[in-house]
Amino acid sequence: MREFEFLHPESVTEVLDLLETYGDRVKIIAGGTDLIIELREDEGPENLEFVVNIAHLEELNYIRQDAEKIYIGSGTTHSQLAQSSLIKEKIPALAIAANSVGSPQIRNRGTVGGNILNASPAADTVPVLIALDAQLRFKSTAGERTVPLHDIYIKPYKTNISSQELLVEVAFNKLSRSASSSFIKLGRRNALAISRMNVAVILDQDSDGVITDLRIAPGSTTPVPSRIKIAEEVLLGQKPTPELIKISGEKVSEEMINLSGYRWSTDYKKPVIETLTRRAIQEALEGRG
Amino acid sequence: MKTIQLNLIINNQQYELQVDPNLRLLDLLREELDLLGTKEGCGVGECGACTVIMNGQTVNSCLVLAGQAQDAVIFTIEGIQGEGEELHPIQAAFIEKGAVQCGFCTPGMILSAKALLDHNPQPTVEEIKEGISGNLCRCTGYQQIIEAIQLAAEKMK
Ligand SMILES: Cc1cc2nc3c(=O)[nH]c(=O)nc-3n(C[C@H](O)[C@H](O)[C@H](O)COP(=O)(O)OP(=O)(O)OC[C@H]3O[C@@H](n4cnc5c(N)ncnc54)[C@H](O)[C@@H]3O)c2cc1C
Ligand code: FES
Ligand code: FES
Repeated sequence: MREFEFLHPESVTEVLDLLETYGDRVKIIAGGTDLIIELREDEGPENLEFVVNIAHLEELNYIRQDAEKIYIGSGTTHSQLAQSSLIKEKIPALAIAANSVGSPQIRNRGTVGGNILNASPAADTVPVLIALDAQLRFKSTAGERTVPLHDIYIKPYKTNISSQELLVEVAFNKLSRSASSSFIKLGRRNALAISRMNVAVILDQDSDGVITDLRIAPGSTTPVPSRIKIAEEVLLGQKPTPELIKISGEKVSEEMINLSGYRWSTDYKKPVIETLTRRAIQEALEGRG
Repeated sequence: MKTIQLNLIINNQQYELQVDPNLRLLDLLREELDLLGTKEGCGVGECGACTVIMNGQTVNSCLVLAGQAQDAVIFTIEGIQGEGEELHPIQAAFIEKGAVQCGFCTPGMILSAKALLDHNPQPTVEEIKEGISGNLCRCTGYQQIIEAIQLAAEKMK
């Protein structure tokens, strides 16, 4: 294990002061399920001297709603998300994604904030939150700002968030009553990273069955997490048919190749992501997710 | 490195300790307190041999910094026996069903089983499999372990 000082602040305000004081010599630790592995391997930030704990801060641990939105504290664990009756009712795909993370032990510690900011392409809650057009609320001693989740990723494992900023909350608009969501994941963590693909779909139909809202967000597919608009457009304003659903899946792999180029893994990934997308749309249509 | 002051309860005993800031909970238990029932397998959250119960939930003690256990209530395998040192019903069931071979996974497995039964006293086989999905056993093939947990659930009714 690398050497560092351990800081145990009593409040968010105190965390922000520590982040300002120590700048890029400090790293936030929430559940630690990503960070401890980095520190153990002598990796992680070169100039790290301090680790500031936020796992115990109740201020960051909540799931709330108002008429329009759902608000999730950054310190909410995957277990809490998976077991929340509000999340299970309003956006089941998020509960399913959280429940698919690691193991019970990992879910009991790992947080949604850590999942987002570790910026792994295979992070399971991220595609669902991308599909939800989630907004992130950050705090620092300079104040507060809200950023679309979609805008923070630069490349795998890299965000544009400064080390002075604490993620406090993830929020998203509630879906209409008739909307449904699904999340499908393939592969285990131990397996090759390329096989850990996932996709989230949110879908709404009018009373005639015409698709009025569709969001398709695959993981481990594009250089940074993103909705695939060209795949969504295939079905928007249409009544779904097996043929259109198939084309929509093909558009996802087309976009993957457009953005990432044809790589050694493409022959494997292409059929996988097409199938996952098709199944996820199908599941959302059946309202099962 | 500045040491940190740590107050916590382990196996119903209150501790006040001065420890290195980069110690893992696993190191605290094994090296500082000689609680050797908690094992280190992989050290990266994959095997569950280091599982302990912290504030009512299982955690991998290899992925918790000791400082993060400030004020926590922790149970290790050494702490689940009864007052008179009699085996916990899950321990007895593991022996009865032959669910222990080399024994390396057993402490973590039993603590996962305990956390499961504490929250869900009559789990289905699926729920048992899910409950121990973070604990690897290279010897038994899991069948005896699942049967032992079923038996324990029966006995604890
Ligand atoms: C065995 C194992 C299996 C796993 N399986 C999966 C899986 O199936 N799916 C999956 O998605 N992930 C998986 N993970 C990865 C990990 O568990 C998740 O990414 C988890 O959500 C990380 O959260 P954490 O709280 O533990 O993050 P930490 O390790 O505490 O932090 C991760 C990063 O985020 C930063 N950070 C954390 N919180 C904040 C905040 N509020 N503000 C600013 N920065 C912050 C930290 O500084 C650090 O850089 C697995 C990990 C392990 C060890
Ligand atoms: S040693 Fe902790 S999970 Fe393997
Ligand atoms: S009994 Fe040997 S690993 Fe489980």
